[in-house]
Amino acid sequence: MNPESRKEALRFFHAKVVGPLGYRFTPDTELMDFLLEQEVILEGRHGIPFCPCQPLRHDPVKDMQIVCPCIPFHRKHYDALKRCWCGLFVHQDVTDPSTLSQLPPEEVGLG
Amino acid sequence: MAEHFVKATEVGAIAAGGMKAFTLEGREIVVGNCGGHFYAVERRCGHMNGPLELGTLDGTILTCPTHCAQFDITTGEALCGPMPRYLGEVPLPASVVNYPPDLGLLMAHVRTQSRRTYATKVESGWILVAVPREAVAPAD
Repeated sequence: MNPESRKEALRFFHAKVVGPLGYRFTPDTELMDFLLEQEVILEGRHGIPFCPCQPLRHDPVKDMQIVCPCIPFHRKHYDALKRCWCGLFVHQDVTDPSTLSQLPPEEVGLG
Repeated sequence: MAEHFVKATEVGAIAAGGMKAFTLEGREIVVGNCGGHFYAVERRCGHMNGPLELGTLDGTILTCPTHCAQFDITTGEALCGPMPRYLGEVPLPASVVNYPPDLGLLMAHVRTQSRRTYATKVESGWILVAVPREAVAPAD
C-alpha cells in the first residue's frame, strides 16, 4: 500500500470529523505532512491511526482515546489550547499556530 | 487486451454514493457513483473476497463490509488493510476468543491487494463498462 495515498485518505476522513467540531488542519503543511505520515506508520503497525505524540498504554479503553482525531475525548483541553496536542488540528480561527502555547491541563483548570 | 463496452445499468439506478454489483461477461464488477461520475472496479475485496458493493462509498474511498479494508474506487488502489483485532470494552464470547492460535498466524500473512478497475462511460442514459475480451484459445 502506498503511504501517500493513505495520507490523502486520512486527510479526507479527518476533515469530515474535525470540521463540525470547530477545528481544521494546521496551516503548517510541513507539520501536517509529517504527522499524517507518522499516523500511516502507526496504522500500518497497529491497524489504527493513533495520535503520533502519545504513548500507547496497551489498555484498550485508554488507547481508543488517542485514536486520531482524538478531539472529542480531550475537547476541553484542546479548546483551551486552540489546538490538539500534536498540533495536527487547530481551531478554525487560528491562522498562525506558532503563537499557540502548550499548557498542561492543570493550568487551564482541568487538573 | 481488447476491450468492448457492455451495458451495466441505467444511470438513475445508482444514486450518488451508491454502488451496485453486476456480472458482465462472467466478471463480477461493482459500479459506484461518485458525485455523478461512475467508476467500475472488481467486486471482490482484495483482502478476503468480501462483496464490495455491500460496503460504503465515501467520496472515492470504498470500504469493504467484511473487515473494513479500503480502496480508491477510481484507481483500485488498496488504501489500508482490514481493521485490527477487537478493542471494544465488552468482552467477546469465549467461543470467539478461543479460536485456534494457528488461525491468527495465518491471518497475519493475508495481504490486501489492489483491485482492477474498468473504464466506464455514459451513453443514452446507460452506464457502460469496458470489459476486456478474453483471449480465445484456437480450436483444435
